[in-house]
Amino acid sequence: MNWRHLNNVLHRDIGYLAVGLTVVYGVSGVAVNHVRDWNPSYRVEKVALQIAPIRATDRDEIVAEAKQKLGVTQPPRNTFRPDPDTLQLFFRDGNYTIDLPTGRVITERTRPRPVLYEFNQLHLNTPKRLWTWIADLYAIGLVVLAITGMFVLKGKTGITGRGAWLTGAGVLLPIAYWVYHLWLE
Amino acid sequence: MRRTIVTAAILALCLTIGMSAAVKKYGKDLTLKETTKISDIYAKPDAFNGKTVKVRGAIVEVCEMKGCWIALASDKEFQQMRFKVDDGVIVFPLDAKGLTATVEGVVTITVETEADQLEHGKMMAEEMKKPFDPKTVKGPKTTIMIKGEAAEIQ
Repeated sequence: MNWRHLNNVLHRDIGYLAVGLTVVYGVSGVAVNHVRDWNPSYRVEKVALQIAPIRATDRDEIVAEAKQKLGVTQPPRNTFRPDPDTLQLFFRDGNYTIDLPTGRVITERTRPRPVLYEFNQLHLNTPKRLWTWIADLYAIGLVVLAITGMFVLKGKTGITGRGAWLTGAGVLLPIAYWVYHLWLE
Repeated sequence: MRRTIVTAAILALCLTIGMSAAVKKYGKDLTLKETTKISDIYAKPDAFNGKTVKVRGAIVEVCEMKGCWIALASDKEFQQMRFKVDDGVIVFPLDAKGLTATVEGVVTITVETEADQLEHGKMMAEEMKKPFDPKTVKGPKTTIMIKGEAAEIQ
């Protein structure tokens, strides 16, 4: 087995192993890149409701009256009054923010986006522990893929021909952008 | 076969229920034994400035953009305190709102100038997707928060 054959076998097999993780990191990467425009992990649904104004003045009575007017029977996980006119009720399946004098209500339901939530958790290394090692191995695997990728082909389309120009362009891209970012942006 | 599937389903359900009720750790381990009331920090901020405290409260807000802070309800009405972590150190889940958190960190008092408040207000409005009225900024403002790296949510 010569070195190029070994190189190509490594490139092929690491490539196969990296497919799943590349899809996870690639899809999540695009999603997380646009975090200013949307929440990539959660879908937040807000709906406005109107109930009769809350007349009670004691905290427990306010909560009881609000629940009764909202038609909710289960006890909230927590309640909070950020100011004298507002009551927040937190339930497992959603939250209510009530303007007590007017009875205006905003209901908020937060749901993880299927698949994307899991992808983003892995991409952002939320689980830590074992996943840190898996992610490190994947990153090293990508470097090996990049290096072995340069030597898969020989001749005109290899690293001594067209490959040199494309590799050079790929290396220049981050450098050029950084220069632009530092001095021109 | 059918019995195995039913048993596995029941086990999975029990595990899910058990996990959902369990305490979830974020970042480093909590180290302090004593819990400080948020209202005590607000009552004597200078006495707590720079000190490491452990506080507990309902999560009433979560940073919508990066999950890099949560606001905890105080033991006293109309008070809340922000617990801030460095970006990426902990990502608080958006659906943690309403759960109870115990957090540990350093009490940090900052005095924001009007310019700081305008910049911060715009940033917060963007993070929370809420409108910001620059007219609400009137003179310097003192902000008390806890900066830390350890939290438990249940």
